[in-house]
Amino acid sequence: MSGAGKTDLLRLGFMETMEVDGRGHIGGLLITNQHGRPLEFQCTTPVRPNRTQEILFGESLRPWLLGELIGSTLLDRVAIKPSIIITSDPILLELRNHTAIPVACANPISAGKSHDSERVSAVRVGGSVLRFHDAHAVDADTLAKHRHLIPDSADLAEPLERVREALAETVRTVFAR
Amino acid sequence: MTDTRDNFLPASSDVGDLDRLVAPPMKIDTAQTGFNPALSRLPSIDTSSVSLTSVLDFVPSWTPRRIPIKCIGLTLPDGMEFMPLKADLTKSSDGTDLKKIAPPKKLVENGESSDAAELKKRTRIRPPADALSLQDRLFYLLQPPLESWLAGQELIMPFEPFAYQYEGIAWLFASHAALLADEMGLGKTMQTITGIRLLLRSGQVRRILLICPKPLIPNWQREFKMWAEELPVVTVEGNSARRRMLWTMPGVPILIANYELMARDLAEIPEEEQPKFDLLVLDEAQRIKNRTSRTAETARSIKRRRSWALTGTPIENRPEELAALFEFLEVIPASASPDLRQLSKLAKKYILRRTKDLVMKDMPPRIDRDAELELTDAQELAYRTAEKEGIVQLNSLGDSITVQHVFELVLRLKQITNYDPLTGESAKLERLVADMEEISASGGKAILFSQWTKTIDWLVPHMKPFNPLVYHGGVPTPKREPILAQFKQDPNAHILLMSYGTGAVGLNLQFAGYVFLYDRWWNPAIEDQAINRAHRIGVKNPVIVTRFISKNTIEERIDRILREKRELFAAILGDGDNSNVSLSLNASEIFGLFDLKARHKDGSRSIGPKPVDAPSEAA
Repeated sequence: MSGAGKTDLLRLGFMETMEVDGRGHIGGLLITNQHGRPLEFQCTTPVRPNRTQEILFGESLRPWLLGELIGSTLLDRVAIKPSIIITSDPILLELRNHTAIPVACANPISAGKSHDSERVSAVRVGGSVLRFHDAHAVDADTLAKHRHLIPDSADLAEPLERVREALAETVRTVFAR
Repeated sequence: MTDTRDNFLPASSDVGDLDRLVAPPMKIDTAQTGFNPALSRLPSIDTSSVSLTSVLDFVPSWTPRRIPIKCIGLTLPDGMEFMPLKADLTKSSDGTDLKKIAPPKKLVENGESSDAAELKKRTRIRPPADALSLQDRLFYLLQPPLESWLAGQELIMPFEPFAYQYEGIAWLFASHAALLADEMGLGKTMQTITGIRLLLRSGQVRRILLICPKPLIPNWQREFKMWAEELPVVTVEGNSARRRMLWTMPGVPILIANYELMARDLAEIPEEEQPKFDLLVLDEAQRIKNRTSRTAETARSIKRRRSWALTGTPIENRPEELAALFEFLEVIPASASPDLRQLSKLAKKYILRRTKDLVMKDMPPRIDRDAELELTDAQELAYRTAEKEGIVQLNSLGDSITVQHVFELVLRLKQITNYDPLTGESAKLERLVADMEEISASGGKAILFSQWTKTIDWLVPHMKPFNPLVYHGGVPTPKREPILAQFKQDPNAHILLMSYGTGAVGLNLQFAGYVFLYDRWWNPAIEDQAINRAHRIGVKNPVIVTRFISKNTIEERIDRILREKRELFAAILGDGDNSNVSLSLNASEIFGLFDLKARHKDGSRSIGPKPVDAPSEAA
């Protein structure tokens, strides 16, 4: 297995979800080393909540579906467990309530500038600001310990683009049949 | 028994509250039509007692459960691990400063990313069209952009590649069959080495064979050391037993061999012991343009998973040469003869060709100037006499005349345009000396190309004031590299005299600002290769190319014919690409030089000298 068991190295997880027309949501998790080189990728088949779930979950439907359901499944499936999971969707921060692994939402520095002072649980890495779940602000400290392993030049938003492209390719290749 | 109603009520509630709870006031709005007064009455709701053991008819229930989700997974292969470079490595073996190339983003003073850095291009690897399985396609899509891949990790690059080079690397990385046909000087070698490096790092290949002309082996060794110092490179050389061992030795990531040894050695290895490779790279792949040659057949027989061909001149003479390369790439059936339309279609898919005009807009220009010279009196006399006698002699041959007879006359006349063998007079030499005085006075350096080693040796004493260095086939291979090094380092060495055959390909001489073509090669593609020794990446000043053409001689006539033909194959390789493809003269055209009609049945046979690496008369 690529890089499995090398505890001295940082493994980054990049998670994204996307809606597939009429078929529900799919999610993808890319595991890379600290330089962004891919080690493992998992993506789900489309998941669509039924009407009962839509009514009963109400506003909590998306966090449940994307964070708990899709996010946890992906995390269970990857053989290489990441040291941190990075996403661009704040809804996926819900996953942190179901795993001990820190989950962070990455935003460009300029986009998050006005909120920096309001949030204590934000860390700047490379060209991105990472924000953590309000209930798990301690994750920022955990990341700070590993921060030296991530190069200053790292663009943490870039691998998320790869995940989105891979999801789109999967939809085109498999689910569109 | 306590009234059970009390248990459900708040302590402060009174009877009125209870009434409201049990029978809340209802007001039903009805249209005041008077026709349906029953609607304004309260509905009566009856309750009935049921037994505790009875089962209700309908009990809606729901418990959350996880929806089963299937996953599709991809584990990317481990790349090869190499010895890490020394931490303090700042200089390569040849003294070049090494640096990690710039990170993709730079922070400006206020701590925000600068717009310029933000806009920096990312080169993504795209899955090849023939990658059909999802896993294959995802493998390519999930690779990082080349800029961050090459900037980030253990990889040290001596120079940051240009944008078109990143594109070339990404294209090679994703290609199982590729013909990289960039114009000379655009960095095919570096793109190939970096492509190989990334394939090894990502676990896509483990064993690579690179075949190149013998004189270029030191060049490849040097370039590998510069661009991928961590990669072990083994060259096939030594006696036959040692070579046999090297061919079949496992665990060698990169094996370099020359064409001759490839053809000779592999023929002696039994079929079941033939080595297998993940990638076979042919440098100067025009060497296999003759499909039935032993070299081409051996190259095609090598077992491999990927095939790359490198050449700056995919077509030197005929479109069929391109078909030979496509056959090597295994994109057309054996012995297939695609027509021009099919070749053009295949070229779009399997050839990547960029010209300097297209990609190097910032590169200093190459300034071509044709020096049209009048022969000296002695040369004129010798030339006219030889021409007259020659034509008489050709006519006297009658039907037994062959292209070889005409060709011999052409060579003799061309030699006289270089210098008169009797008196040593030379209009070209006079012009060369005048130019060299100016060049040496300004500390410049020039490369001179000739077809003949004899001409080069004749020039040496005349070039004495400029400390000439000689590089042609007569110079033993071990002495060649030191000559190039001396030319680069010695400020007093102002001119390097080279033969087209030995000096035209693969050498990096971009510190020379002047190129002289003392006589003309048969094919402008070869001339361009020669010129591009100086006019290539890294050149800081314009390169001035002077072509000597003797007026009213065979040189002028040949030049005109070649000029007219330069654009013939542009359609195959794309618009605007007319700088490196052309035809050599065929037999009819050679006869036409002296107003003779082709009498040979095979009037279209090309009669130029043998290919550049094995010229008959040149070094």
